[in-house]
Amino acid sequence: MYGRVIGVSVVGVRGHLVVVEAHIGRGLPSLTLTGLPGAPVQDARDRIRPAVESAGLEWPLRRVVVNLSPGNLRKEGPGLDLPVAIGVLAASAQVPARRLPRYAFAGELSLKGTLVPTPGVLSVAMAASRAGLDGVVVPSANAAEAALVEGLEVVGVPSLAEVVGFFRGAWRPQAPVDAAPSEDGSRHAVDFSEVRGQAQARRALEVAAAGGHNVLLVGSPGAGKTMLARRLATILPALSRQEALEVTQLHSVAGLLEGGALVAERPFRSPHHSVSAAALLGGGSTFLRPGEVSLAHHGVLFLDEMTEFRRDAIEGLRQPLEDGRVIVSRMTGSAEFPARVTLVGAANPCPCGFSGDPSRRCDCLEHRVQAYRQKLSGPLLDRIDLQLAVPRLSKQELLGEGPSEPSVRMRERVEEARERQRRRYAGTDYPCNAQLPGPLARREARITPRARDLLAQAVDRLGLTGRGFDRALKVARTIADLAGDDGVDADHVAEALSYRMSVAEGALARAG
Amino acid sequence: MPADRAGGPWPTWPAGFASGTADRSAAIVLAALAGLTPRRLLPVANEGHSAEACLALVGEGELGSDEDRRLAGSLDPTELATSLTRCGARFVTCDDPEYPPQLLTIHDPPFAVFLRGGGLPEQAAAVAVVGARRCTDLGRELARGIARGLGLAGIAVVSGAARGIDAAGHEGALGSGTPTVAVLGCGIDVAYPAGSRELLRRILHGGSVVSEYPPGVPARPFRFPARNRIVAGLCRATVVIEGAAGSGSLITGEHALEFGREVYAVPGAVNNPLAEVPLALIRDGAGMIRGPDDLLSDLGLDAALTPPPDLSLAERAALDALVGPTLPEHVARELHVGLADALTLLMALELRGLVRSVGGRFESTIAARAASGPAR
Repeated sequence: MYGRVIGVSVVGVRGHLVVVEAHIGRGLPSLTLTGLPGAPVQDARDRIRPAVESAGLEWPLRRVVVNLSPGNLRKEGPGLDLPVAIGVLAASAQVPARRLPRYAFAGELSLKGTLVPTPGVLSVAMAASRAGLDGVVVPSANAAEAALVEGLEVVGVPSLAEVVGFFRGAWRPQAPVDAAPSEDGSRHAVDFSEVRGQAQARRALEVAAAGGHNVLLVGSPGAGKTMLARRLATILPALSRQEALEVTQLHSVAGLLEGGALVAERPFRSPHHSVSAAALLGGGSTFLRPGEVSLAHHGVLFLDEMTEFRRDAIEGLRQPLEDGRVIVSRMTGSAEFPARVTLVGAANPCPCGFSGDPSRRCDCLEHRVQAYRQKLSGPLLDRIDLQLAVPRLSKQELLGEGPSEPSVRMRERVEEARERQRRRYAGTDYPCNAQLPGPLARREARITPRARDLLAQAVDRLGLTGRGFDRALKVARTIADLAGDDGVDADHVAEALSYRMSVAEGALARAG
Repeated sequence: MPADRAGGPWPTWPAGFASGTADRSAAIVLAALAGLTPRRLLPVANEGHSAEACLALVGEGELGSDEDRRLAGSLDPTELATSLTRCGARFVTCDDPEYPPQLLTIHDPPFAVFLRGGGLPEQAAAVAVVGARRCTDLGRELARGIARGLGLAGIAVVSGAARGIDAAGHEGALGSGTPTVAVLGCGIDVAYPAGSRELLRRILHGGSVVSEYPPGVPARPFRFPARNRIVAGLCRATVVIEGAAGSGSLITGEHALEFGREVYAVPGAVNNPLAEVPLALIRDGAGMIRGPDDLLSDLGLDAALTPPPDLSLAERAALDALVGPTLPEHVARELHVGLADALTLLMALELRGLVRSVGGRFESTIAARAASGPAR
């Protein structure tokens, strides 16, 4: 009286195969789970028997022991309901065991025996494919998602009865709907053509997209910082299939996938400033969930009111901005989540928000403004290449503006600039200018003597720091890439310098 | 000291009010009584009472409040003198040769001041530079430039050591080589605001710090208007740069007009809240100045003119396109160039100190005015 099926436990975003063994022996009717089940798996114990009985199958009224191996891996997630149930049915000979080892099972059961949509199915399918299995058995709601993995048979089942029917040869699944092929990102709900005015900010965001730079927008309330940030995702290059799969996987694990199709758009995440470090970076006490920074993987993470975020949350962003991933360590184990984002921060220029606005009076004392700006973490600012002021436009200034350039046109230029960078950095680990370390950036910039003079002047006149120097250089490199120029000339440097807002260096320059 | 004390239309201190040793030590106690203002003491002094007699009246309860009487009884003149020496200050009464005579021609002149550092300048060699504490970058630049111009012409800049325009004025003067004078609205040894300690230290390096109040008196809102009358009273002219309605700079300007001293103000746009005080003063007869050059020529001083910078045609056009704070795209449109080119031009101008960026817009600095057109 023994059955054996394969389930998958998802740790972080990675699926790990779990062998589910079931044994039916003599003793009082009971179900025991062994092999380090996590709390959600323990929880399944009382759910499985009603599910089996509702499906018109028989629960063995004897002592049932289910073991999950490997024993050193903590098993997490509700997806193990289905393999446990099938294991018991196999042990009680209600399911033919012959084809069982060729499939991985995942899915959460309801008391009626139906399978409910389950997070992390894409990770399950990837694990099954990696292990060389023939297919996966998953809730039909998740079938499209699992079908994103090529060369894998996907059996989408509405309930437990159909699973049994499938292995008895009495039921066949519908051919899974082919995952909608990734359209070329033109389905964004917003577009840059809707932005009136703000030419400098639009240009700066184009530069940011072209070089992969992070951006800080400083401006009065109502200047349009959020509106601009939201549109940055629309001019980033289209997601490659590999990137789209990574994003889909993360969203699947977080249970955010709608309709199960491939995520074709670059994500835009905008957590509130009260967000905890765990919610921003990933974690949780039992089940390790990806944080906002991972949900924004390959997209835009927008931090509005950046000065108001909790210090520990903000400081924790340094690792993902540097490495493109987050490693979350907890007592129960550690998990790695990819998190390569373009960070867009927004802040007011001063506590009242109207410093530098010609039509409103700023009521802040100078030292309060300084203190406010110092709330922006220095190490984080060092990772933000473009820092610019976004003015609140007056009615007259807005009236003079015609329709702006649509996102599509901006994206074409961005993709060309990215292509130049890919060619230049072929054979290195750095896909774009922003990720280049300082010394390499200085070597690769191919800077003309005139441009070098200008930068030296900026060090004197504007109080540019060493890091500020490197940042301006990288931005100038991107501007040259957008212009299609091989070398960085004085013009490119001058424009780059106009995107260094006085948040950090300017304050120093004024004091000097 | 000076026999003729009928300088102004207001009552002033009779000669000999605080000349002898006994009167001096009485005066130092009187100066420590916060409640006993010059306004209340002056009529009594002009009835023929010396400082010693006034202090006796306080002791008898005839003058001042009960609080003053209690305090006067507990204060020891020797101890007060020692505490003055400790903070490097000296006590200067209206009968001392060091007392600035121009103060006696204002209303409610102090009968004595506390002084640190060098002596006070003559009226003809002192100009006040005052304005908003919460000022703009433009205001700061103006204050610095005007103070520097005054200093280079050998004129001492007098101000209140507050944040904003005051501090910028002192800083501009510090670079010029002429001593600058800070008038405090708190005790002579108190650094208010806290951040002014370093500024005061630099001012004292050659310049002087003056206050009506003895050591230890904290800053209080009512003391600043009182301080402003001394700022205006020390100087031949007062320059007001930026001030919102109801601010202290208006009081200083009005004091100066009242004392018959000259007042100059830098105008701003009528909808700019910080231009309210300057514009109101100009309407009341203050001289309108656009920067240091105007002021120096109005005062009949040799202007140390800065040579106009050398500009390319495109740079000049970009500068001319800046009408107040201007968006870069407007400059681009005006010059028929792309935004990136406009930003490049503006940045080159900023590096030469002719343009500054303010919250995403660009404006020309006063240094640029010399460069922008034939009319200066």
